[in-house]
Amino acid sequence: MPVLTRLRRPGTRQAGAAALTVALALLLAACGQNHPESIFHHRTDFNRDVDYLFKILIWAGTIVFVVVEGILVWTLIKFRHRPGQAAPQHVHGNTALEITWTVIPLLILIMIAIPTVRTIFKTQAKARSDALQVEVIGHQWWWEFRYPQYNVVTANELYLPIGRTVNFTLHSADVIHSFWVPALAGKRDVVSNHTNYLWYTPDSTTAAVFNGACVEYCGENHANMRFKAFTVSPADFESWAKHQAENAVGTAAPPATTAPAAAAAAAAPGTKTPATPAATVAQAPAAQVTQAGFIAYPRDSIPSYAIPQTPYPAGLTFDDNLLGHGDPANGAKLVVGQGACLGCHTIKGNPMMVGVVGPNLTHIASRTTIAAGLYPNDAQHLARWIKNARVMKPKVLMLTLGMGQYDPVAKTTMKSGLTDQQIADIVAYLQTLK
Amino acid sequence: MATAAVSPAYAHAGASEKSGVWSWLTTVDHKRIGALYLYTALAWFAIGGTEALIMRIQLQGPNGHVVSADTFNQLFTMHGTTMIFLVVMPLSAAFFNFLIPLQIGARDVAFPRLNAFSYWVYLFGSLFMNSSWLLGMAPNGGWFGYAPLTTMAYAPGLNIDFWMLGLQILGISSLAAAFNFITTIINMRAPGMNLMRMPMFTWMAFVVQFLLVLAFPVITIALVFLQFDRFFGTNFYTMTAGADPLLWQHLFWIFGHPEVYILILPAFGLVSEILPTFSSKPIFGYPVMVYSGILIAFLGFGVWAHHMFAVGMGPIADSVFSVTTMLIAIPTGVKIFNWIFTMWGGNLRFTVAMKFAISLVALFTIGGISGVMHASPPADLQQTDTYFIVAHFHYVLVAGSLMGLWGGIYYYFPKITGRKLSESIGNWHFWLTFIGVNLTFMPMHWSGLYGMPRRIYTYDAGQGWHIFNLMSSIGAYIQAVGVIIGFWNLFRSRKNGEIAGDDPWGAPTLEWSIPSPPPEYNFAVIPTVTSRYPLWDVKSPQLTAEVPHSKHGDERNDVQVGGKHVAAFHDHLSAGTPEGGINPNAKQASTKVPLKTAEQLGIPMPFPTIKPLFVALFMTFMFGSLILIHKDKTDLAITGVLVFAAAMTASLYLWLTSPLEPNHT
Repeated sequence: MPVLTRLRRPGTRQAGAAALTVALALLLAACGQNHPESIFHHRTDFNRDVDYLFKILIWAGTIVFVVVEGILVWTLIKFRHRPGQAAPQHVHGNTALEITWTVIPLLILIMIAIPTVRTIFKTQAKARSDALQVEVIGHQWWWEFRYPQYNVVTANELYLPIGRTVNFTLHSADVIHSFWVPALAGKRDVVSNHTNYLWYTPDSTTAAVFNGACVEYCGENHANMRFKAFTVSPADFESWAKHQAENAVGTAAPPATTAPAAAAAAAAPGTKTPATPAATVAQAPAAQVTQAGFIAYPRDSIPSYAIPQTPYPAGLTFDDNLLGHGDPANGAKLVVGQGACLGCHTIKGNPMMVGVVGPNLTHIASRTTIAAGLYPNDAQHLARWIKNARVMKPKVLMLTLGMGQYDPVAKTTMKSGLTDQQIADIVAYLQTLK
Repeated sequence: MATAAVSPAYAHAGASEKSGVWSWLTTVDHKRIGALYLYTALAWFAIGGTEALIMRIQLQGPNGHVVSADTFNQLFTMHGTTMIFLVVMPLSAAFFNFLIPLQIGARDVAFPRLNAFSYWVYLFGSLFMNSSWLLGMAPNGGWFGYAPLTTMAYAPGLNIDFWMLGLQILGISSLAAAFNFITTIINMRAPGMNLMRMPMFTWMAFVVQFLLVLAFPVITIALVFLQFDRFFGTNFYTMTAGADPLLWQHLFWIFGHPEVYILILPAFGLVSEILPTFSSKPIFGYPVMVYSGILIAFLGFGVWAHHMFAVGMGPIADSVFSVTTMLIAIPTGVKIFNWIFTMWGGNLRFTVAMKFAISLVALFTIGGISGVMHASPPADLQQTDTYFIVAHFHYVLVAGSLMGLWGGIYYYFPKITGRKLSESIGNWHFWLTFIGVNLTFMPMHWSGLYGMPRRIYTYDAGQGWHIFNLMSSIGAYIQAVGVIIGFWNLFRSRKNGEIAGDDPWGAPTLEWSIPSPPPEYNFAVIPTVTSRYPLWDVKSPQLTAEVPHSKHGDERNDVQVGGKHVAAFHDHLSAGTPEGGINPNAKQASTKVPLKTAEQLGIPMPFPTIKPLFVALFMTFMFGSLILIHKDKTDLAITGVLVFAAAMTASLYLWLTSPLEPNHT
């Protein structure tokens, strides 16, 4: 770490200046990096407006900075003590000068204030009436997203059509949160007992993934209350929304048919998915599902910054060999039985699974992350999450379910509970819920 | 620490007859209380800084797990609370205590025992709040403790109880001190010391006391609501009962924004003392500096909702608070320019104190510019609650307040202890601090603009935040080294520093006309003040002759011709210093001859007393007993409150019925 060693030996002004130069060089180097959550991404009308203001602010700020620091440094050099220097004249002030440096900042501020107020009224006007309505509900510590126009309820992953204004209606289920996708728009607090609004129009030309986060401290897992926003083409969005509105795979109201699983999954949007034995569904290759129409952002095109890299907590083990051989049919029984998932989760179409405390699981397999963006949604993470969520993410409501696991909230060891095999079955079932 | 403020040269002099722990427990001397504030605040600074260091270790790289989420949340809550309420405010209070009477030519504050009480309340309140660490239940709601996160439904532990009761106790300390200083400044100025002759520090201190008096009752109300909610089941902030959580936010920030000026104005005052001295020039535009300080304080009450641009107040409120916030930049900018032009044309001596003062001017400007950026609500929605804000307020509070306060410590240490801090060690302290502060907080602007929320105990890899966090952490380690060096300088210079003499810097104000450290009575003869810069008038009348110091130019003539005002001032000088008159070069002389004691001079001084300490102690226990309610020991809690209330009242009665000082003859 040459930077460190250089910074540790300043002592003199020259060395200090050198260290600052190194820091500045580092900073410049850092600016060249990839910044997926930069607020300077121009992917919405909102961020363009903010960027316009920011340019004024940064330019005005830079000019003020250079002028003030320039005069200061000049003063320090020019009037430094020299041997034999005569005592300075006692100047007590200069009214003209003082009026000048009162008026100039005033003019700069007027220059900032006018576009500021215009932008305030523009961005806080009522959203257009044909906007896509999205209800955002902040929970400790996850996000619920509802699309009332499409009868969709999902969690932690937003889909937004490019070119259409989206109007968010923000509610909190508990404490104050704040809803923020930096690359798309400014934040808006999600305040208990209040309804807040925020609207913008994603106008990027290509589909993209953006990370979002809660930015109002909301308790222990504030840092782990993340979400994703996918901006997709309007057609893909319609397709996604139709799929999301459907009942879960294997739960449709019509009695079970013998239709093959692949056909079921490939059924045209808008038709009810025929119920099929869950085991059959599990064998359906994922590729065939996506061919049928857009139901989720393709996993292989998700950029690395949108894939969580949170390490497994120490001490939580799972027999990964069991994964991939799980019995989805047994898993489907376990979620309403011994697993007791029904207490908190909804799986639309399953009359037993109507809990509303936790995220809606109807199409959980179409999501890329679990635990509010903390872990990738794959078998390994899902299995550990079910086994001991409270170790994966401390203090969550989700109970510790694995047999013999220590529940750090209840401070007890689970004497009964799910075996690794049972968890593998549940994982297999959940993975069918595309 | 017990004998910290007493230089050995004065061991036999009047002021230091009293030494030992008991003398510190019973002291009512504003200078000793100031020293107590100083050393206590520095101790908390070490603790608050350690809390910050642990956080920086955690955030050094992505997915760090040195401490748990809960511990991290306690750390940032206590770091903020500690640095604001237990470090910067008490450090300012240390200077209020030590300097105000000296600068206005008084022998003590108006209410010496109330002054002691303020300190003990601060000490016990801070210990009470931090005792929560021993239970592993330190406050974890953030320093502004937004409801409903702090209500029983979401914070059932004792953490928040410690926080709200602690703040309530500390508020009493601040309020008592504020009334004391207001009274002191209004009533106890020396003859001739009209308001527009007061030194700039005393002026800023005066303004701050009004801020305290007006702002603290608001947080007190907010905290009383919270206490009633948590202890007695009321519904001020209970969401299920339909409460509006913005009630807390408005109340908190009506206090919280003036609080920002409570934190920065004392440092501004210190810088306004240091820059003229080391420029050998009067402050540029004294009246404008005074008025801008008052204006900042006044406007400071009308901007609180700029902390709430994201809560959805609507476009009209956002616009109004945006404009008022921008207006505050004007008087602040005026101050910056006036400081620079104080130095312009001067004879700049770059002592460590001067370097700290200059770095406040240079770095506060950065915090001011980012402050204007937040004043624009649409832009603020992309800044608030991110590391950009963290960068902003650390530039204001560390690069601003703390730099100014360190400057004040280097500048006034000789007056407090009689010895100078080492300049060579001080240079290390300064440069490491200066580089560390910038390396820590400058990159935070970028991590914020690149989307990093504040108050997260960890972050994922691949977000582009790593390099900035690494720089911040390295900067924090450099700062830590600087602070350790600074502490060592304080420690060694107390005993081994160069003997300072009365006026080691060639300063213009009254406190430098008396011995260092000052005798307990400060001024043997109360001086008659004829200008803003009485010492310069005496030492170099040819320079001060040109320009009137205040509107009372006629009195200045007396200075020139040796009229009655000058004569009075010389009387004070000759009585105060053993050899008589001012001789800034005679560093050894004043330490050899013992000073006269207050008794010898016939000056009545207040009796030392332990009673304020007991009142403060019982009051802390009275509040602290309430916590037992949440241990399901309501009976014990109520008993405790009643017993300690009775004990407090009894001590207060004894205090109020005992005489302050010997009968005047």
